[in-house]
Amino acid sequence: MPLLIWQVLFFVVPLGFMFVMSFWLVKDYRMTPAFALDNWLKILTWGIFWRAYGYTLALATAAMALASLFAFPASYTLAFKASDAARRWALFFLIIPFFTSYLVRVYAWQVVLAGNGIISAILGFVGLGPLSLLNTPIGTLVGYLTLTFPLVLILQTISLSSIDKNLIEAAHNLGCGPLRTIFAVIIPAAKVGLIVAALFCFILSFGDFVSPYYLGGSKPPTLSIMIIDSTKSGQQWPRAAVIAVMMIISLLTVAFASVTAAYRRRG
Amino acid sequence: MTTPLVVFDRVEKRFENFVAVKPTSFEIAAGEFLAIMGPSGCGKTTTLRMLAGLEAPTAGEIRFEGRVMNNVKPHERDMPLVWQSLALFPFLNARENVEFGLKMRGVDSATRKKKALEWLDRLGIGQFAERNVAKLSGGQRQRVALARSLVTEPKILLLDEPLSALDAHLVIRMQSVLTKLQKELGITFVYVTHSQSEAFAMADRVVIMSHGEIAQIGKAKDIYRAPSDKFVAEFVGRNNIFEGKVLKSTPANTVVATPLGAFSVPTGTKGTFKADDPLSFVVAADLVQISAQRPSEDNIVECQVISEQFMGTTVTLFLEAKDGSELKVQVGQRELEGIDFKGSKKLFASWPVSRAHVLARQ
Repeated sequence: MPLLIWQVLFFVVPLGFMFVMSFWLVKDYRMTPAFALDNWLKILTWGIFWRAYGYTLALATAAMALASLFAFPASYTLAFKASDAARRWALFFLIIPFFTSYLVRVYAWQVVLAGNGIISAILGFVGLGPLSLLNTPIGTLVGYLTLTFPLVLILQTISLSSIDKNLIEAAHNLGCGPLRTIFAVIIPAAKVGLIVAALFCFILSFGDFVSPYYLGGSKPPTLSIMIIDSTKSGQQWPRAAVIAVMMIISLLTVAFASVTAAYRRRG
Repeated sequence: MTTPLVVFDRVEKRFENFVAVKPTSFEIAAGEFLAIMGPSGCGKTTTLRMLAGLEAPTAGEIRFEGRVMNNVKPHERDMPLVWQSLALFPFLNARENVEFGLKMRGVDSATRKKKALEWLDRLGIGQFAERNVAKLSGGQRQRVALARSLVTEPKILLLDEPLSALDAHLVIRMQSVLTKLQKELGITFVYVTHSQSEAFAMADRVVIMSHGEIAQIGKAKDIYRAPSDKFVAEFVGRNNIFEGKVLKSTPANTVVATPLGAFSVPTGTKGTFKADDPLSFVVAADLVQISAQRPSEDNIVECQVISEQFMGTTVTLFLEAKDGSELKVQVGQRELEGIDFKGSKKLFASWPVSRAHVLARQ
């Protein structure tokens, strides 16, 4: 019950307020309560909004795909090849990044990705640089992965570790080679955990503003950057509310579709 | 004798410092139903897993149809195993589970489906083909697991305590399903179990393992009637074990002094025993007779009934002799009713000399 009250007070109520606010008007830099569709019409017919929407969606999807793909060999090794002790230590070390603020870690990346940073120097050494990755979509992606990769790896490792080892042996026993077993048995058996890990990555990336701001240079803007811009310039809180509601609807749709897909069973 | 299908040639398995299977040799004939039986940790499952290639032997050779299998990967063998947990794939329905082995062998989907349905029908669960395996009963899942293993028509089927998770009435039914299948298909079954009743009910031959080695190998009846040592005699149950010393030994009979008195046993074919040597023998519970009056046998123990265990047509009586040692006697229910105890619980247990069996390993 206390949890429910907490949720209602600090999540549902503000969300409702934001939704109401999206119909308000701004006159002389001041918000006036109203019920007008002006903000919705303005945003939903605004090409820049849809471009930012597509860009955010693409970046978050890319982060989700990259994190899932890169994490899988590592989580596979931890779950099936590593000793119990090694797996415990690895999970412990994967939690350590969460001890430091995400903002601090992103600042650290600025130094690495900058035009005079180490990556640029290495690229220069092989004849591809100097190249600054700062203020590019790649910079934003690096930030997203900094935020989500350890979490994806932890969730994947836990879900792979919980697969019944007999299923893997049964697959070998029925003529399925080790590589094929990954696709025929391990991924289907761990489907729910793998989808939830990817979903977390998508949600965190989709709503993040730190990486596009400090590593992506805000250009082109993601939806979170647009929200900040709307509130800063001209006190357009109602328009920011429209964008936020659109983001929440998108996330709810993606989350619902993923969880449904994860638990879909035949027969 | 034809060449055996499987040969274990001094096969040994060590896990770091622990010896799971001591150097062990035995053969399995084609078309045989072999049960490997023993208590937990005796190495029976490890033996089976080595045959399937899921464990590599530390030493020795496993041969299948004359070919050395030590370095053959499990997925390159056709030796399907039925797991104790069944290990059905939860993300596939019953038919897809059965199709799995065929799919791995590159069989096209139409043939695959046809064969899978044939096998599901054959095992009487055709109507559940498209059902999620989690929604099937224990017995039905058992049949899916069997169909999945047999669909590739292997020469040998390995079973690791497949019935231990089933209800008692289902166990009896599945036993007859298994023996019938084995006879019809004519393939070799290697069946690991800790249950003596399962092994004896189904197998042509039984291997009894203890502490990583074979204690005895032979037909169920021979093991039951002539256990090779005390471990086997105790493990197969319903045996009365007597330990004593040789009093005198002639080529025909040997007299053994036990705490319960002196008994005569057949000397056997290996020659007479030395006086004062320790000697143990067993008398199976169903070979002991009981009577209210002192009989005219050589071997008689006077005892009292402590308890009765009613088992339907037979009754197992637990008797206590004068010195406190216990005897088990299995008699027919009707036979017991015919004995007039005249109010006392006292009776005489006896057996002819020829029914005692001297243990080969003392």
